[in-house]
Amino acid sequence: MNNIIEITGLNKSFKDVKAVQNLSFKVKQGELFAFLGLNGAGKSTTISIMCGQLKKDSGRVIVNGFDLDKSIENAKKEIGVVFQNSVLDKPLTAKDNLKNRAALYGIVGEDFNTRLNELSRLLDLDELLNRPVGKLSGGQRRRVDIARALLHNPKILILDEPTTGLDPQTRHTLWSVIDSLRKQTGMTVFLTTHYMEEAADADYIVILDNGKIAAEGSPLELKNNYSGDYITLYGADENEITPLCKDYEVIRDAIKIAVPNTAAATEMIIKNPNLFKDYEITKGKMDDVFLAVTGKKLTSNGGEAK
Amino acid sequence: MMGLGAMIKRNIKMFFKDKGLLFTSLITPIILLVLYATFLGNVYRDSFEQIISALAPNLNIPKELVEGCVGGQLFSSLLAVCTVTVTFCSNMLMVQDKVNGSISDLTITPVKGSTLALGYYVATAITTLIICFAATAACLIYIACIGWYLTLTDILLIVLDVFILVMFGTALSSIINYFLSSQGQISAVGSIVSAGYGFICGAYMPISQFSKGLQNFVAFLPGTYGTSLLRNHSLRGVFAEMVDLGIPETAIDEMKNSIDCNIYFFENKVELSSMYIYLGATVLVLVLIYVLMNIKKRKVVR
Repeated sequence: MNNIIEITGLNKSFKDVKAVQNLSFKVKQGELFAFLGLNGAGKSTTISIMCGQLKKDSGRVIVNGFDLDKSIENAKKEIGVVFQNSVLDKPLTAKDNLKNRAALYGIVGEDFNTRLNELSRLLDLDELLNRPVGKLSGGQRRRVDIARALLHNPKILILDEPTTGLDPQTRHTLWSVIDSLRKQTGMTVFLTTHYMEEAADADYIVILDNGKIAAEGSPLELKNNYSGDYITLYGADENEITPLCKDYEVIRDAIKIAVPNTAAATEMIIKNPNLFKDYEITKGKMDDVFLAVTGKKLTSNGGEAK
Repeated sequence: MMGLGAMIKRNIKMFFKDKGLLFTSLITPIILLVLYATFLGNVYRDSFEQIISALAPNLNIPKELVEGCVGGQLFSSLLAVCTVTVTFCSNMLMVQDKVNGSISDLTITPVKGSTLALGYYVATAITTLIICFAATAACLIYIACIGWYLTLTDILLIVLDVFILVMFGTALSSIINYFLSSQGQISAVGSIVSAGYGFICGAYMPISQFSKGLQNFVAFLPGTYGTSLLRNHSLRGVFAEMVDLGIPETAIDEMKNSIDCNIYFFENKVELSSMYIYLGATVLVLVLIYVLMNIKKRKVVR
């Protein structure tokens, strides 16, 4: 797969604050790329630079082959952004908003009508188009936001905390739409999120801390490198577990044993066949990875848990 | 210039759909109408009659002429205020877009920053012209009802005055609003302009009644000459009728001094042509400043 985004040695400071420090990473075409970090870690700064909204101090940014320093207008055509908060014009109808934004990409007349019909089918917008955006619910507004980001058929869709504040049902619907889009179009999705279960579905993850990359890799690599496994053992007596290990937790109807990795779990099970009759082995979660990498626990609003 | 038309259309729609912006922009003219209805009209009327009775005591002035004069003052004051305050409110969209984040959605498009800036400028000028020309039409109907002394030339010159003042207001508001970035700043500037501009341009109270120092100060302000141009053109017919009635030139000149048809720059009377030149040059300078500000901004972003 080709790299659709290449960032090399990116630096950006705001007075004395180094927001991004020597950042380098690549995003492959068609993958779901997750960009994680606490508020202030440098995620938004990096995205703003990628979208040509903020000047970088140094470094190189290439978007689908277009160097931002030489061809920013072309690079912008390759990117669609769903912002954290809806930034469409609330007094105007959804259709007026989409029509206006499409015109800014030169999509007008019959081209716009055709694209609107496609997006309307994909995102089920028919009933929303003639309603003012300010009168739509959070989930409905999100669908219109996605339609706006996709108007010009971008190759990269940046989702900046797209599900923050949405109810689980709407989050599920949103991800169904995005998954189906990726399957149909092979679009690259660049995601920032505070929900670790969303990041766990990514193809590749970069964790930022204080403007630097703290860890990167696939979810499996990160889990293997930064978190252990868990054996959940059902119907066992705590007294039988104590001699085996010290790192365990008694939950309602089971005991959860922490082990360094899957090999250690297998070894423990093989050595104690009478004890391990009803059990399951699970990898650590992305929360564990994040905690291990940054020493901080991420909350749903992007802050650090105390 | 891809997207300019779309930006202008969007900004105009946003202004007329946003009840808050529209209402705020009409506050100053509404204040003026209330002031006029409650006492300003009578003050103008009494002042006019006092001057006439003092300088030409035996003359019988038709009521229609008195009302035409008072109406002309209201007409010119209203337009002088509207042309500038409406531009500030209309141009607040530029700031609102920063406050609610819409500007990010516009700047991620391939449309150039200069096109976005021009979109705000042209849309502000168009919305203000729509409102001011509607106000002009309403005022002309009112004048026709109470005492009509205008010619077609007067009306065309009034339209020209409105156009130049709108250009002045648009350029000034574009520069000032460029630096605003919060709701608090929007409210503060909106209040200051709405409340203050009517006074310093001589719409609420004639500049001739200000202290000498203040008169000298406002003589530097382009808005002063905008009000004076509108006064001269909306009252030209009234003064011509006075001459026909035999009112002495000194009385008429005294009246012109008292209602700011004559403006003095440190004791020197400013001619109408000079007023146009000063206003026009100011507009050009302000537009140039706005363009330079946007060029500098583009360099910073890149």
